Amino acid sequence: MSSVRTLRARISFAVMVIVALFGVFVFRLVDLQIVQAKDLNAASLSQRSDVRTTFGNRGSIVDANGVVLADSVLRYVVTASPRYATAFTRTTDAVTGTKIEVSVAEAANELATATGQPAASILTALTQDTTSDYAVVAKSIDVDAYNAVRALNIPYLYYEAQQARTYPNGSVAGNIVGFVGSDGQAQAGTELKENSCLAGTNGIESAQTGEDGVRLPGSTVETQSAVNGGDVVLTLNSDLQYFAQQTLAQRVQQVGGESGTVVVTEVKTGKVLVAAEYPTVDPNNVDGTAAEFRGSQIFTSTFEPGSTFKAFTAAALVDSGAATPYTHVLAPYMYAAPGGAVIHDAGVHADTRWTLTGVLMDSSNTGMSILSEAMPAQQRWDYMKKFGLGSDTEVKFPGEESGDLKDPNNLDNQTLYNTTFGQGLTVTAMQMASIYQTIANGGVRMPVQLIAGCRAADGTMTEVPAGAGQQIISKMAADETVSMLESVVTEGYASSSLQVPGYRVSAKTGTAEMSDGNGAYGSQHLTSLAGMAPSDDPQYVVSVTVAKPVTITSALAAAPVFQKVLSQVLKTYRVQPSTLPDPKLPTTY
Amino acid sequence: MSMPAYQALYSPGAPNRQPTGTVAPETRRRWLQLAPEIISRRIRPTFAGSAVIIAGIGVITVTQLLLSIGLSDGAYEISSLQSTQKELARSSQALTEHVQTLSSPQYLVQNAAALGMVANSNTVFLRLSDGAVLGQPAPAAGSAGSVAGSLVANKLVPATALASVTAAGKNAFPAAQSAPAVPKTDPTLPWQGALPSPTTR
Repeated sequence: MSSVRTLRARISFAVMVIVALFGVFVFRLVDLQIVQAKDLNAASLSQRSDVRTTFGNRGSIVDANGVVLADSVLRYVVTASPRYATAFTRTTDAVTGTKIEVSVAEAANELATATGQPAASILTALTQDTTSDYAVVAKSIDVDAYNAVRALNIPYLYYEAQQARTYPNGSVAGNIVGFVGSDGQAQAGTELKENSCLAGTNGIESAQTGEDGVRLPGSTVETQSAVNGGDVVLTLNSDLQYFAQQTLAQRVQQVGGESGTVVVTEVKTGKVLVAAEYPTVDPNNVDGTAAEFRGSQIFTSTFEPGSTFKAFTAAALVDSGAATPYTHVLAPYMYAAPGGAVIHDAGVHADTRWTLTGVLMDSSNTGMSILSEAMPAQQRWDYMKKFGLGSDTEVKFPGEESGDLKDPNNLDNQTLYNTTFGQGLTVTAMQMASIYQTIANGGVRMPVQLIAGCRAADGTMTEVPAGAGQQIISKMAADETVSMLESVVTEGYASSSLQVPGYRVSAKTGTAEMSDGNGAYGSQHLTSLAGMAPSDDPQYVVSVTVAKPVTITSALAAAPVFQKVLSQVLKTYRVQPSTLPDPKLPTTY
Repeated sequence: MSMPAYQALYSPGAPNRQPTGTVAPETRRRWLQLAPEIISRRIRPTFAGSAVIIAGIGVITVTQLLLSIGLSDGAYEISSLQSTQKELARSSQALTEHVQTLSSPQYLVQNAAALGMVANSNTVFLRLSDGAVLGQPAPAAGSAGSVAGSLVANKLVPATALASVTAAGKNAFPAAQSAPAVPKTDPTLPWQGALPSPTTR
């Protein structure tokens, strides 16, 4: 019996051992699979997973012909781990196995050559805090420099790609294109205005990798897909824009002026072809331009237009029936108007018998004041508002100003008279160009278009502006105004600087007094020229301003720019020379 | 369908079942016996069956192995292609940037001027329908197109990148060295082909 008992004891011992062992395994299993599972999974995932940001590119800004004005590029940041920044061995010849020792200082010199940054600052970054794991060696270097740095095979360097913006044409339309900050955030111009179109959305992609960093097939998971931004298509012509900017800059420097603008619009569509300024920001080098010129003065800066505004007054008078191009006026040099207002002409002259055409041709303030008495101020104001004064243009450019158009009922008589020849109210250069566009287009004002639309990656255009025009004045009044303005080019004082051989041109000069900022007029002038060609069927409007010229203080400062830009525009768009003769409206009686 | 064997064995009406008290020894033995037909049917392996199973397992294993090798091979290929693609995208971007800068008006105008080209500001058209000259032709003035340095800044076009520079450094733009030689042609060479003529009716 004892042998049976021993056998039983052995069996139960074995069973107990097995149960105990089993218990240990079960405990371990539960511990690993349930208790520690989360931590272990995370640790393993962090070792084999590879999470990457996929870039959604910011879209380009292109001109009407597809010339790229702003583009997205990749730039690289080179960082180092100073903790490991020690001398390393580099194999210089794989065949013979030649090796050399590269010290930190030598590496810094090599990096300086590759990145074009001072060796001293790189060495400082590498050696300043040798306990640190992070130091920036070079910021936003381009692909060439990046390849050069990688070729150095320095073991303690790390690389990070980042999106950056480049502006291949520099300051050509820099005022309109705008720029982004170093953090990639839009700061000015179209970059800012069309940010929602341009901005892409970055995606996140994760995958599992093997020990050698190669992604395991089929393990890639796109948590969020990257979406590229759309392209913004401007209405500008970058070649013309360059020509206008160059011509304007030359002239402003020549006459010692402070700044200037050139606007060219297409009469039939209201598209802005040129919006040139001097000075203009180079978006590649924003700091190189004074802060006040980093935006677009054409939209954001207002001024008293002066005599170029007489074209508006004449158009309104003719449209309302208060005058015709042949209406007579006896204009003195000085006109003491009712209500205590006194108006002078620019130059002393005997009382002159002018027609309305003559008043425009010789730019008589007194003549325009007297003729305007036939029209109530409120009616004139209504015309101004219909022409778009006192409100933003359809472009809605960032920081756009609407100009200062006060309530006529609260204005003194002097100001009311002044507004007939463009003083006492302010406009932007774009509003001025729009007035001329309306007159040139048979009285139909087209919405100002600067942005043709947002082109998505699949080619569909969105945000295309509405193109329907509005009849502001009658076609007859508009055409007669164009004919009257032709006399400025054929007979006015700036005539020889304005003519374009082969074409009939209508234009108006302006030499406005500029406010000194304290409610009075200073000694400086804003000279301007605005006009259209060809007069028999106007196609393009050119409007030029030159602020504070020194050597020439009349509209002659702006006239050559007008003439050159207009010639270039007519040539670029192959406008046929005029065939009909000039109407030669009488200027005197 | 006939009654299954086990049902036949245990069903009360089965002929083998006897009252408990009168169980014969041989009947008792039979009572403990398991259905022999089933066992024999289950345990008798056929050679063909085993061969198919083993071959199947073998095929599956080999296929799995080959697939796995193929996949990981593909993974390396994908990885290397992706890095090639990245490199190519990088050089494409660098070249695009380069081309865009080279085609910027600042670069073109200054190089053209350095080559002695002048722009003619006179607008003249020749109307093909009647051969009329529209506008007033005049030669371009020597100074008309000369640009005393571009006044339209572009930081990407360095001043040293212009036609006067001949050294070709790492970042040097291909500078226009000199005016291309004009091929010497006989000015009296007769016109080849049809004369351009107006299509008036």
